[in-house]
Amino acid sequence: MDAWSFEAIGTHWEISAGAPLDAATRAAVSGLVSGYDQALSRFRSDSVLAGLFHGGGTAVLPGYTAELLSLYDSLDRLTEGRMNPLVGGSLELLGYGPGYRLTPQGPASGAPDWQRAVQWESVQREAGGPAEVRLSLAGPGTIDVGAAGKGQLVDLVWELVTGRGYASVVVDAGSDMRHSGPALRVGLEHPFDPQQAIGVVQLQDRALCASAINRRAWGNGLHHVLDASTGLPVNAVAATWVLARDAMTADGLATALFLTDPSLLAAEFDFDYVRMFSDGRAEYSSAMAGVLFS
Amino acid sequence: MNSKKPLLTAAAGLALLGTAGCGSAGSAQDAATDEASGTPAPAASSGAPATSGEYQDGEYTATGSYIPPSNTKEEVTVSLTLADGVVTDLQVSTSGNHPTSKRYQAEFTNGVQQEVVGKPLDEVKVDKVASSSLTSSGFNKALDEIKSEASR
Repeated sequence: MDAWSFEAIGTHWEISAGAPLDAATRAAVSGLVSGYDQALSRFRSDSVLAGLFHGGGTAVLPGYTAELLSLYDSLDRLTEGRMNPLVGGSLELLGYGPGYRLTPQGPASGAPDWQRAVQWESVQREAGGPAEVRLSLAGPGTIDVGAAGKGQLVDLVWELVTGRGYASVVVDAGSDMRHSGPALRVGLEHPFDPQQAIGVVQLQDRALCASAINRRAWGNGLHHVLDASTGLPVNAVAATWVLARDAMTADGLATALFLTDPSLLAAEFDFDYVRMFSDGRAEYSSAMAGVLFS
Repeated sequence: MNSKKPLLTAAAGLALLGTAGCGSAGSAQDAATDEASGTPAPAASSGAPATSGEYQDGEYTATGSYIPPSNTKEEVTVSLTLADGVVTDLQVSTSGNHPTSKRYQAEFTNGVQQEVVGKPLDEVKVDKVASSSLTSSGFNKALDEIKSEASR
């Protein structure tokens, strides 16, 4: 099974299918990925969303953004504001923004309230036409959809390729994966030692996303998973892995598990998980029994 | 062995919620018998450590509640016995009113491993590895730059 690899949105992509992807499909995937980046990237000053960051206002975004925003609404509510896309501003303060200064720009600061600062609606300009999302930001703020956005893009690419008649499609973007076809054995990388795995999961016809604080970390305990209510990095959880039906959900929940209890999330989402704490302890949903090495 | 620590964690969580003052449920038997000095034990309702970092021996029970998104109030009761400052017995029971809560409370006590065990990846046969998002070539480049600047 040949995999097509490329670099996009700052990560390594691998797409494999039962048959090699034809040129038209590859072009369509490239177009989809760059369109997503153009609409939603926090790191591109020319993205549609970035147009709001200095003074607020209203942006018109692709229709698929509705699912993403709806997921964020739920996660913001379930984590009581600890997971909030406006954390982008807090990340920039810690030095993780365009230009990657990686030096704190000021004291840490919590993010503005998501429900109050952002209004969005999905609208159809004409009957039968494509939906679009109108998002209004009440004032200056930086929206970072990175916690679930990459997962959503993995889903969109997987749907595009599958929709063109390919079978056994596996899309892997920097280890956010959406799978169909024969089961894969996927190792869970040890968050403190990339040469080791702490367990192996079977991945079949689902998505698997992982998050850990070991990568994208820069000096003095600073890393990219923040509690939006304080603007400070979280420390108790070291790594999370989530299996769910789609990659957007798995990706979002992988971050949410740093910030809240799995049982709260389980009341509204169907998923399996492993999460490891910085003291070496791990917990997992019952379907994951036997996954970790012992 | 696996059953002790997670339950302690649950107890700690309750304390953080501020709902679990020792003996607040009225069943604490704050025995002062071990007090060699004969100083009276603090009032049962205070639950404060006698001195910083030490706790009175005895049996403690506390009940905490939380509201899951189902809006069905759930209660967690923790009972523990302290002897020489060490927890010698611990029991946790939950009301499990909501089916989802019941399911996940049960899963909680099952799905815990005290220490993960790493195995070298080249000894484990896998098709792929799930690590933290490898996003950010840009991020990694910036780190490399900082490292090279720092070593000049």
